[in-house]
Amino acid sequence: MKSIAKRTWFALILACILLFGVLTFAIRYFLYADRWVSFTGSPHVYSHGRLDTGKITDRSGEVLYSADSKQLYSDSTKIRKATLHLLGDKAGNIPPRLLRTYASRLFGYDKLNGTAAMETGGGELKLTVSAQAQAVALQAMNGRKGVVGVYNYRTGEVLCALSCPTFDPLDPPNVEKENSDGRWDGVYVYRLFHTSYTPGSIFKLTTLAAALDKDPELANETFVCEGSRIVNGEKITCPKAHGEQSLQEALAHSCNCAFAEITLRTGKSALTAQTEAIRLAESIEIDGIKTVRGRFDLSDAEDNGLAWAGIGQYTVMVNPCQYMIWMGAIGGGGIAAEPYLVESARCGGKQTYAAEEKLTPRMVSRETAAELRDLMRYNVREMYGSVDIPGVEVCAKSGTAEVGTDANTATFAGFIDSEKYPLAFIVVVEEGGAGSSTCAPIARDVLQACINVLKGEG
Amino acid sequence: MEVFLDFFRGPEGVTLLSVYHAILRLSLPALALIIVIRSAKSLLGFRREPEVWAWLRLATGELLPVTHWENLLGRKKSADIVLDFATVSKNHAVLTKLDDGGWTVTDIGAKGRVEVNGNRVLSGRVNYGDTLSLGGLEMVLEPVSKEEAKLQADSRTKAGKGHSPGLTLVLLTLFQLLAVLELIFNRSEDRVTVMTAFGILIGVQWLMFIGQKLIKRSGFEVETIAFFLISIGMGICASANAGEMYKQLIAMGVGIAIFLVLGFCLRDLERAKKLRYLAAAAGILLFLANLVLGRNINGSRNWIYLGGFSFQPSELVKICFILAGASTMERIVTRRNLWGFVVYTAFIGGCLVILNDFGAAAIFFVGFLAIALLRSSSYPSVVLILVGVGMLAVLVLAAILAIKHFPHVANRFAGYGHIWEDSFNKGYQQTRSLMCIAAGGLFGLGLGNGWMQYMAGAGASDTDLVFAYVSEEWGLLMAIMMIFALAMLGLFVVRSAKVARSSFYTIGASAAMSILMVQAILNVFGTVDFLPLTGVTFPFVSNGGSSMMSCWGLLAFLKACDTRQNASFAVKLSSKGGDRK
Repeated sequence: MKSIAKRTWFALILACILLFGVLTFAIRYFLYADRWVSFTGSPHVYSHGRLDTGKITDRSGEVLYSADSKQLYSDSTKIRKATLHLLGDKAGNIPPRLLRTYASRLFGYDKLNGTAAMETGGGELKLTVSAQAQAVALQAMNGRKGVVGVYNYRTGEVLCALSCPTFDPLDPPNVEKENSDGRWDGVYVYRLFHTSYTPGSIFKLTTLAAALDKDPELANETFVCEGSRIVNGEKITCPKAHGEQSLQEALAHSCNCAFAEITLRTGKSALTAQTEAIRLAESIEIDGIKTVRGRFDLSDAEDNGLAWAGIGQYTVMVNPCQYMIWMGAIGGGGIAAEPYLVESARCGGKQTYAAEEKLTPRMVSRETAAELRDLMRYNVREMYGSVDIPGVEVCAKSGTAEVGTDANTATFAGFIDSEKYPLAFIVVVEEGGAGSSTCAPIARDVLQACINVLKGEG
Repeated sequence: MEVFLDFFRGPEGVTLLSVYHAILRLSLPALALIIVIRSAKSLLGFRREPEVWAWLRLATGELLPVTHWENLLGRKKSADIVLDFATVSKNHAVLTKLDDGGWTVTDIGAKGRVEVNGNRVLSGRVNYGDTLSLGGLEMVLEPVSKEEAKLQADSRTKAGKGHSPGLTLVLLTLFQLLAVLELIFNRSEDRVTVMTAFGILIGVQWLMFIGQKLIKRSGFEVETIAFFLISIGMGICASANAGEMYKQLIAMGVGIAIFLVLGFCLRDLERAKKLRYLAAAAGILLFLANLVLGRNINGSRNWIYLGGFSFQPSELVKICFILAGASTMERIVTRRNLWGFVVYTAFIGGCLVILNDFGAAAIFFVGFLAIALLRSSSYPSVVLILVGVGMLAVLVLAAILAIKHFPHVANRFAGYGHIWEDSFNKGYQQTRSLMCIAAGGLFGLGLGNGWMQYMAGAGASDTDLVFAYVSEEWGLLMAIMMIFALAMLGLFVVRSAKVARSSFYTIGASAAMSILMVQAILNVFGTVDFLPLTGVTFPFVSNGGSSMMSCWGLLAFLKACDTRQNASFAVKLSSKGGDRK
């Protein structure tokens, strides 16, 4: 009997599995219950198919969305269009991501009482974006597809996060029927976070960061460009022969021949390490929005592939938001603040959420960041006078990414070097032609708008 | 601090009504906690005092107590009666008490002989006063005198001492009344049904309690736990579909009848052993009937309709299965009748695969493991474990085949682990469950106030997802408490095994509890997406008649292993002495 009694451990194990499982679940409850309670369609927090939450305002307090009003969205068509991807549309094709992330804070949900004492309709979600800046960006994009992102790399506040094409949520297009010319392609996608692009020459900044880290003497060297260069049997070309040039001139000319040479000298592993430092192939989460991963994979690349990758071609893909953070890191001396879109959440007069400032890991050394800053500043002074804003120093680099069709993707990325207006930015225009001529004016308008907003706040 | 103030807040702020509900919301889990703790103290805190059935007097004059109905005699330390003499084998003989009061001794393949009064026996009777010789070591079997028996019964701690089961039942009744108070408010249209149904429930539980008092039995913790779980189940039933409360009550009545009859049968081992063959045959018949008459509900063919009633034969087969699998030690050590049980299990497993009921197949498999483990001694254990693993492989293979060929199984498994990605289709049930668990908080939204009620019936919120239903309306604390209650019964079986009378009872109780606990595991873990949803009921709580009946049946095995003094109606008193004050 004794040995049989001992073997009842089997029942003991089952009891332990049961208890352990319940304990695990209890822990998960305290970690995730607020997400569970407000997921799409939850009858506890939705009424008539939409979140019954109260309102969403921009950084100045301008109401962008109000569950109490009949039409829900802003009175201004322009602002409705400019903030569509932040708020979501009525049909749910563009989900209300921010609202969903913070829904439980807007109701005053708590894990002790559940939804029993919840208040609906009294919530207020304050975003960091400026409706004004969004509207300026929308106008500057002038109907083209692409993204405009601006954020404060010292605090992390995102001031502008525009994705085009966009539409008026009160007058949604019939996307399937009206898309013969492709104008609504990817309209439901929040491009700033959920698309990755071939970066083109703005990627030369990443290459340069790796190269300067490896060999600081590079800054004093000269490079000779004869208009083309053969790497591993493949011809890499420049629009013209740039002749003998310093490093800052090579960057200003965006000289492919010079950067092919720099890339080959830097090597696969250093370049890959730099892309890892800027988290290019990682996904980060911004207020519940997960960015799409970029791509940097040289595992099958020969020297020619490596050279093209260093110029921002080959199979390289970057997410615009990620690249904007990297620009912020250069401006911030190697480290930037992590961006965020939601300033605070309130429920019935009580603050239930307040954004906290967080820093990115170090992306580049302080010295290299300073060197890059000077090179980018030279670039703007010499090449893109049109973007220069009086009173502040804009540092930037343009790109014209070849994407296999005639139409190139125009890219433009950089930052303002200023204690008062520390703004990093990225502009991408699909089928936009040359980066500097297309994107620089957009960047100037939006940055000016953002500076005005910050000035207005004192 | 404000969170605590919120506790008393209703939709219109803090009002008299909201305070009333808040007090109810707090009282229910508090009472439940006390009920569970009192039962746990009583079930898990008792002193395990052995019962002495006879004495073995060695030539040296030393008296060895015989403390079970089945005793392994041998040299090894884990023997029940350790005879540390060189001529005695490690496992030498089994001494078994018969229902008529006599004893038999069985040679279990020892090197030395087994003799009774000088005659070699392989298996034979031993009378009091006879000299038993194991490998030359002689001892005399001596009876326990009536006075000794009475003294023993008086000195053993009575069941429930220090934790009066009557008081626990009073608390449970209070718990039920509070639930009714809340239900008649939130479900005013059904208040007559609710009050009648709970009235009957309370009546039945007190009738049982008084009945057991009359036959001088005082252990009522196991039944209390069952009634506690049933009360929660009835609350769910009232919220989901009050009309079904009567159906549940009828099933409970039938279940209690099975519980009492089976418990009574288990008192006598010879009677119980005879029942095995009947049970085995009944199990086969039930499944054959199912194969012939089964109707397809939700993709599984495991239902039978008879005269307006529907039931799941596999639920009742659980009881038959345990009866067929339980075995006395004499049988176990002589390794007889093992393959019969393996074939029997394979038959049941086969039927369930044909019927496409994988939840039940998993339950029987665990039941088989529990029984196989207890029945195995060293050599056969290897075989049994091999068989067990083989069956697992067959089950997995069958599952893979089923996923390919039966869309409803495939759907259930496809959503597993990815419920949020397909929350309107494959993950529908689990995402709604988690949402409602979160909505309920720790104390619940109140009985009848939840959203899970709209998913009752076809959406299975009152059966497969009942953990979420309870969490939403009664609160997560209550849902956790019902799991504690069940796990506690499991621990009780493990604790009781040491002082069990026969391995038949240990095997029965251990298998029954394993089945109940694995049901809870599949039910709860399926609901919260730790495991694929298999459509298994939570014992006593889920709405379902067959399940209710089988749970009571399984509970009878628990009662049969409760050897605390004067505890269980399913256990004969060793002496009338214990009856007197």
